[in-house]
Amino acid sequence: MSGARADVDAQVFTADPEVGGDLARVDWTATPLGPPRQWPQSLQTAVSILLSSRFPMWMAWGEELTFFCNAAYRRDTLGRKYPWALGRPASEVWAEIWGDIGPRIDAVLGTGRATWDEGLLLFLERSGYTEETYHTFSYSPLRDDAGDVVGMLCVVSEDTERVIGERRMATLRDLGSDPSVIRTEQEVLAFADRQLSRNPKDLPFTLTYLFDGGDARLVGATGVTPGTPVAPRVLPVAGDDGVWPVAALAEGETRLVPLTGAPFVGLPGGGRPEPPVEALVVPLLQQGSAPYGFLVAGLNRYRDLDERYRGFVELAAGHIASGIGSARSYEAQQRRAEELAELDRAKTTFFSNISHELRTPLTLIMGPVEELRTRLADAGEDIRTELDAIHRNGLRLGKLVNTLLDFSRIEAGRMQARYEPVELGAVTAELASVFRSAMERAGLTFEVDCPALDEPVHVDRTMWEKVILNLLSNALKFTFEGTVRVAVRRSGPHAVVTVADTGTGVPEAEMPRLFERFHRIENARSRSNEGSGIGLALVRELVGLHGGTIDAESAEGKGTAITVRVPFGTAHLPEGSVVSEPAGARASATADPYVHEALRWLPVSAAGAAADDGPEETEAAPLGSHAGDTRSARVLVADDNADMREYLTRILTAGGYEVTAVTDGVEALDAVRRRTPDLVVSDVMMPRLDGLELVTRLRGDSRTASVPVLLLSARAGQEASIEGLRAGADDYLVKPFAAAELLARVRANVELARLRGHHLRWRTALIDSLQEAFFVCDESGAVVEINTAFTDILGYGPEDLPYAPVPPWWPDPDTDPVAREQVGDAFAGLLENAQGSHTVPVTRRDGRRRWVAVTYNKAEDPDTGRQVTVGTFRDVTAEHYAVQRETALAALSTSLSRASSMPEALSGALDQLRSLWHADVVLAAVFDGDDTPALTATDPDLRWENLPDGRRERLGALRGRPPLTVVTEDSGAGVLLEHPRGPLTLWVDLGGDRPFTSEDQLLLSLLSGHLAQGLVRAHQIDQQREAAIALQRAILGPARLPDGFAVRYEPASRPLEVGGDWYDTVTLPDGRIGIVVGDCVGRGLEAASVMGQLRSACRALLLQDPSPGRTLAALDRFAAGVAGAVCTTVFCGVLDPATGELTYSSAGHPPGVLVHRDGAVRLLEEGRALPLAVRPGRTRPEATCALPARATLLLYTDGLVERRRLPLSTGIQRAGDAVQEGRDLPVEDLAGAVMARLAPAGGYDDDVALLLYRHPAPLDITFPAESSQLAPVRKALRSWLARCELPPNAVQNVLVAVGEACANAIEHGHRHAPGEGVRLRAVALVDTLRVTVADSGRWKDPHPGANAHRGRGMSLMRAMMQQVTVSPGPSGTTVDMQMRIP
Amino acid sequence: MTTTLTLAPGRGPDGAARLAVAGEIDMSNAGRLAEALDSRPGPLVVDLTEVEYLDSAGLSVLFAHADRLELIVAPLLEPVLTVSGLAGLVPVHVSGTRIGPEG
Repeated sequence: MSGARADVDAQVFTADPEVGGDLARVDWTATPLGPPRQWPQSLQTAVSILLSSRFPMWMAWGEELTFFCNAAYRRDTLGRKYPWALGRPASEVWAEIWGDIGPRIDAVLGTGRATWDEGLLLFLERSGYTEETYHTFSYSPLRDDAGDVVGMLCVVSEDTERVIGERRMATLRDLGSDPSVIRTEQEVLAFADRQLSRNPKDLPFTLTYLFDGGDARLVGATGVTPGTPVAPRVLPVAGDDGVWPVAALAEGETRLVPLTGAPFVGLPGGGRPEPPVEALVVPLLQQGSAPYGFLVAGLNRYRDLDERYRGFVELAAGHIASGIGSARSYEAQQRRAEELAELDRAKTTFFSNISHELRTPLTLIMGPVEELRTRLADAGEDIRTELDAIHRNGLRLGKLVNTLLDFSRIEAGRMQARYEPVELGAVTAELASVFRSAMERAGLTFEVDCPALDEPVHVDRTMWEKVILNLLSNALKFTFEGTVRVAVRRSGPHAVVTVADTGTGVPEAEMPRLFERFHRIENARSRSNEGSGIGLALVRELVGLHGGTIDAESAEGKGTAITVRVPFGTAHLPEGSVVSEPAGARASATADPYVHEALRWLPVSAAGAAADDGPEETEAAPLGSHAGDTRSARVLVADDNADMREYLTRILTAGGYEVTAVTDGVEALDAVRRRTPDLVVSDVMMPRLDGLELVTRLRGDSRTASVPVLLLSARAGQEASIEGLRAGADDYLVKPFAAAELLARVRANVELARLRGHHLRWRTALIDSLQEAFFVCDESGAVVEINTAFTDILGYGPEDLPYAPVPPWWPDPDTDPVAREQVGDAFAGLLENAQGSHTVPVTRRDGRRRWVAVTYNKAEDPDTGRQVTVGTFRDVTAEHYAVQRETALAALSTSLSRASSMPEALSGALDQLRSLWHADVVLAAVFDGDDTPALTATDPDLRWENLPDGRRERLGALRGRPPLTVVTEDSGAGVLLEHPRGPLTLWVDLGGDRPFTSEDQLLLSLLSGHLAQGLVRAHQIDQQREAAIALQRAILGPARLPDGFAVRYEPASRPLEVGGDWYDTVTLPDGRIGIVVGDCVGRGLEAASVMGQLRSACRALLLQDPSPGRTLAALDRFAAGVAGAVCTTVFCGVLDPATGELTYSSAGHPPGVLVHRDGAVRLLEEGRALPLAVRPGRTRPEATCALPARATLLLYTDGLVERRRLPLSTGIQRAGDAVQEGRDLPVEDLAGAVMARLAPAGGYDDDVALLLYRHPAPLDITFPAESSQLAPVRKALRSWLARCELPPNAVQNVLVAVGEACANAIEHGHRHAPGEGVRLRAVALVDTLRVTVADSGRWKDPHPGANAHRGRGMSLMRAMMQQVTVSPGPSGTTVDMQMRIP
Repeated sequence: MTTTLTLAPGRGPDGAARLAVAGEIDMSNAGRLAEALDSRPGPLVVDLTEVEYLDSAGLSVLFAHADRLELIVAPLLEPVLTVSGLAGLVPVHVSGTRIGPEG
C-alpha cells in the first residue's frame, strides 16, 4: 500500500487515535472487505460511530463477519485478544462462545431485528484462562448503502461483577440468616452445608473439618462424598502428608492448595465443564484461641482468586466459625446452668426431706422405747437385750439424722453458731480425753499433745466437738495397732489441729474424694462396717464455717493424718454470731454417742459392760420418761448461799438425782427455759429474783407452768407457807430440814409431777418434733411459746420469751423498709383476723434474710380462757429465691432480646442486675487486648481511669477465675464470663453492709450465663449489620462518577437495619448522563439484594433508551416480577452536561432540589407518578428543566430530609440551606458537609443516599506540552467559561492567566521531560472559580531579564487572578489560581 | 497546529506605516509578529483591534519595539497592556481613545 493510499485508508479510523491506529495497521486487503478507501459509505460511518463511542461496542461486517471494536470494548471485554482480533472473522475471535452468540447473530442478519440479552453467561478466553463472564447486550443489524443487512453492531455492558457479587452475597446472606435461633453444633454445620451447597458455582465442593484433640474430624461436606480420598473422615494434625495441610491450618494460616494428584481425580465442577484446579483452605477462627477447624473451599476455575473471591470464602468461613462458637458456648452454658440449678434443687430437697421425715417417727419410736425400758426393767434378760438393741440403733439413727440436719442447716444458712473464745489446746485435750478409755481398750497408744496456745481461738463448742469427735472416731475405727495422736499448735495466723493414726490409710486414688458426702472407701479394713460416709464431709463443712481448712495425708498401710487449720481472730466470722465471753457449761452430752458407738466396735471382752452402761441422752431423743431405776430425775437447785447449794447438791446427788445448781432466780429461770428439769428446788430469799417471783414467772409461761417447785425458806409459819403455795409453789420446806425429809419431798413431787405432767410433756415433745415452726401469741401479739423449729429457722430461742411486738426478727425499717412494711401488714392481719396466711421476709438472729410462709388461727386457751393466736410457719426461702431467679432470668432475657447491638445488650443487662440487687453500681470490663479494658457501668460517668485502684485490680483479678464462678468480697460479688471480644469481668457493688448470699451467688452465676449467650447473639447481629453495610457499599461503589458529581451513602444508625437506598450515574452513548436515585421499601440484606437488581435493570434500560419516563415504565414491569421491589421510589433523570438540560421523571420519589447560585431553591416537582410496580403498564410523565450556571442539583432519599413532627418542606428547605452554605466548597466536599449538617443528633434513623451535581462540570484537559496546543486549549476553556456565565472581562482575565500558566508549563515541561502532558483543571464553585495547571517540569524563579516575558507572564497571572500559588514538587509544578466571580 | 494569526502590512489614512494584526498571539506564533515588526523599521502603528488574545510572549515582542510603536486595541486587551506596563511606554488607543503617553 502506498503512503498516500494508506493515509486515505487511515482517515476512516481517525475518531480514535489508538484503536484507530491499530485498525489502520490491519492488512485489510487480506480480508473480504478490501482496503478501507473502497469501503461503502455505510461501513465507514458505522466504523466511525463505533470508534467515537465511549460505550463498549463491537461490530461485524461482510461475508466473514469481520471484527471491529472500540476502546471501551477492548478495555472491558476483549482483554488479551487485542489487537489480534481486529479484522479477523468474528467466529474466530469468539470461537469459544460462538455456540452461544452465533445463532443470535444469524437471527439478526436473517430477520433484521435486534436482539436483547441480559446477564448472559459467556466463557471468555481473554485473561489467559477461561473466564466466567456475564454480559448484557443487544445485537442490531447494520445495513449497507443499498439497505441490505450485511453486518451487526453489538452494544454490550459487562455484568460479571454484579452477577457474581449477587450470587456470593446470597450465600453469605443465607449463611448468616436467622441468628436468633441458637442451634446445636450439628445443626449449625448441617445448616451451613445446605447453604454452601446452593452455590456450587463459587464453591464446587467444600469440606468442613473441626479439630478434636490431635485429629481433624470431617463434620461437613458439599459436592463430594465423605470418606473418599479427597474427604478423609479423620486427618491427624501432626504430619503434613495428609491430603490437606492440617498443621498449618491448626496454626490459623490460610493455604491455597493445587488440586493435582490421585486424591483429586473426579472432583465435581459445580455445574461447569471442568473440575476445580485449586482449593482455598481457610481456618475457622476462634476469637482469642486456636481455630475450631478449617473450611476447604474448591475454587471456581473460571474466576480469578482476587480479593473479592478470597474475601467471600473467608466471610463464609467466618459465618461457620461464629455459628460453631455460639452453639458451643450455648451448649456449655446451658449445661452448666442446668447442672447448678439441678444440684441445688436436689440437695435442698434431699436434706429437707430426710431430716424432717426421719425426725418425727424417730421421736415417736424413742419415747415409747424409753417407756418400755422403764416399765420392763424387771423383765427377763432376753427382753432387756432386745430392747437395748432397739435403743442403741435408735441412737445411731438419731446421730445420723442429726448429722444430716446439720448439713441441712449449713446449706440453708441456718446453722446456729455461737463462736466464743476458747483455749483450743485445753478444749481439744478435754474432748480427746473422752476417747482415752476406748483407745486404751482397743490396745492403741493415745498421745494427746495439746499445749496452751498464746491466743484464744473462736469456735462454736458444739461444732468443734463434732469436728474432733468425728476425727477421733474415724482414727479409732481404722487403726488396729500403733498410735493415734492429737496435737494442737500455732502456725502463723492459724491454730492447727492434727489427728494422726497408724491405721490402714487411704488408697491414693480415693484421696480426692475423701471429703465428699456419702463417699465410702470400699473394702477398707475397719473395726466396723457401719457408717454413712458422711462424717468427714460434715467435718469439712463445720471447719469451713469456722473459716478454716482441712487437709488429709495418707499412705496405704501406714496411716492417715488429718490437719485442720482455723484462723485466729474474728474477722472471718459472721458478726452477729461472735460472743466475747465463754459459756461455762460443758456440752459433753455430744460426746456420748461417739464414745458409745466406738466402744461397741471393740471386742466384747475388752469393752466389758461399757456398751450397755453408756449415757443415753442424745439430741435425737430429747424427750421421754426417765424413770428412777435406769435414769435419775433432773433437779435444779437455786440458792444464793454457796454452802447451802453444795449441801443440797450433795444430798440430791447421793439420792440418785442429776443436779444443776444456780445462784439466783434469774439464772434459774434461764436454766429452766433452756432445759426443763423434773423439779426446781429454790430458796425463797435470793438477790435479783426471789423464789416467790420465780414461781410466778414460771407459772406465767405456758412452757414452764407445770414445772414443780419446792420452796425452801428460813421463815417458818403458816403465813409464809401460804404465801409460797399461793404463788404457785408445789411444796414448801422450812430450814433447817433433814436430808431424809428433803429427799422424801423431792421424790413425792417428782412422782406427782410425772403423773401430772405426762400429757403436757407429750404435747411439748410433739410440738418440738413438728417440722414446721410453731408459735403462740397472746392478745397483744406477743409471742409466748415457740418450738425448736422456730428457733431453728429464726435463731431466737425460748430463753427470751415472751417476744413482745416488735420482735427482733422483723426487718430493719432503715435498711429494708419494703420488707418491714410487708411484715407489719401481715402482723396487723394476725391481730384482726380469725385466720390467715402470709409469706413474709424476716431477719434471722445472724442477720440473714429468710422468707417464711405463716399460717395462723385464733384459739382459746383452755386454762385461762383467753384468746390466743396459734400459728405455724415454714422456711420458704429456697422457693422464694427460685421464683425470684425465674423472674430475673425472664427479665434479663427480655432485655437481651430487645437489644440490637452488643453495647446495648450489655448496658441493658447491667441495669437489670443493678435493679435486681438494688446495687450501688454494676460494672463490666471487657479485656479486649487494648491497654485499657472497655468499661461499661450503670453509672455512665464512670471511666476505667477514674476507678479506684482496688476496684481495677479486682476486676482484673477475676480473669484468673473459672468462668461463671461467683467471687464475693466485702459487699459485692464478681464473676468472669465470655464475651466475643475477650474476657468480661463483672462486679456488682451492693454498697452498705448487705451480704451477698449463696442464693445471690447462684443467681448471679445463672444470669451471667444468660448474659454471655445474649452477648454472643448481639455480636452476631452486629456482624450481620456490618456485612449488610459492606455489601450495600460494594454494590454502590466504588463509583466511577462523571466529573461534577458527588455521591454519599450513609446506613441508618443502630439499632435500625440497613436499607436499600441507591444512587447511580450512567454515561450514555451520546455523552449525556443518566442519573438515578432510588429507595427500596425493605430492610437488611434482602433490600440490598432487591436494590442491586433494580439498579442494574435501570442502568441497562437507560442505556437502551435514554428516556427517564420510558425507563421507569419499563422498570415498572421489571419490578413487578421482583419480590420486594414493589413501591420502590425512583428519581430518574438524563442530563446533558454541555447545556445543563435535565429531563426527568419521578416514581413517587421526593422532589429533586435545585439551588440556584443566588441561593433560591427550586423543587423538581413535575414529571411525578406512582412508585414502581403499583400500576405497571401506565405511561410515565417527563419534565425538563435547564440547570443554570453554577446551580447545584441535589437528589436524595427521604432519610435526608424526613424528621418526625416536621413537615417535609422544612427538611427540604434545610437541605437547600445546607447546599447554599457550602457554596465555596467543591461538590465532593459539599456532599460531606450536607450529610453532616442534616444528620440528627443520634445519627440518621433511616438510610440516606445522596447525589449532587453542580453545573457545569469541571473542565479537565490533559494535553501534550507543545505550544501548538495553546489555541485549542484556549478554545475549550473559552467555551467552558461561557457555560459558567462569567462576565466578558472576567473571561478574558482567566484566559490570559491560564494561558500564561499553560505557556510556562509547556516551556518547563518541554525542557525537562519532553512529551509529558500538562493537566488543566477548572472548577466553578457558586461564586468562585478555581483553575489548576499541573506539569511535570521544574520552574525557575520569575526574574524578568534573563527570560523577560516569562517573568511578565507571572505578573500577568497575579494581576488577573485573585490568588495564585505555585507549588513546585519533585514530579512537577502545579499552579493554583482562584478568582471571585463578580 | 499553530494559532490563527494574520498580519496585514499597509498605510494608515495619514500615510503612516501600519500593521493590522488579527487573531490570537501566544508563544506559538509570537515569532511571526517579531519577524513582521523587524521587517518594518521606523515608526509603526500596530492595529491590534482584531486581536482577541495577547499573552506575555506577544507582549515581549511589542516591548522590544516600544520606542517606535503606537498601538490601537479593543477594550478587551486594555488590562493586559496596563498590567504589563506597556501602556506606560507606548501610546495606546482604545476604541479611538488614547490611553498611552503623549507622542
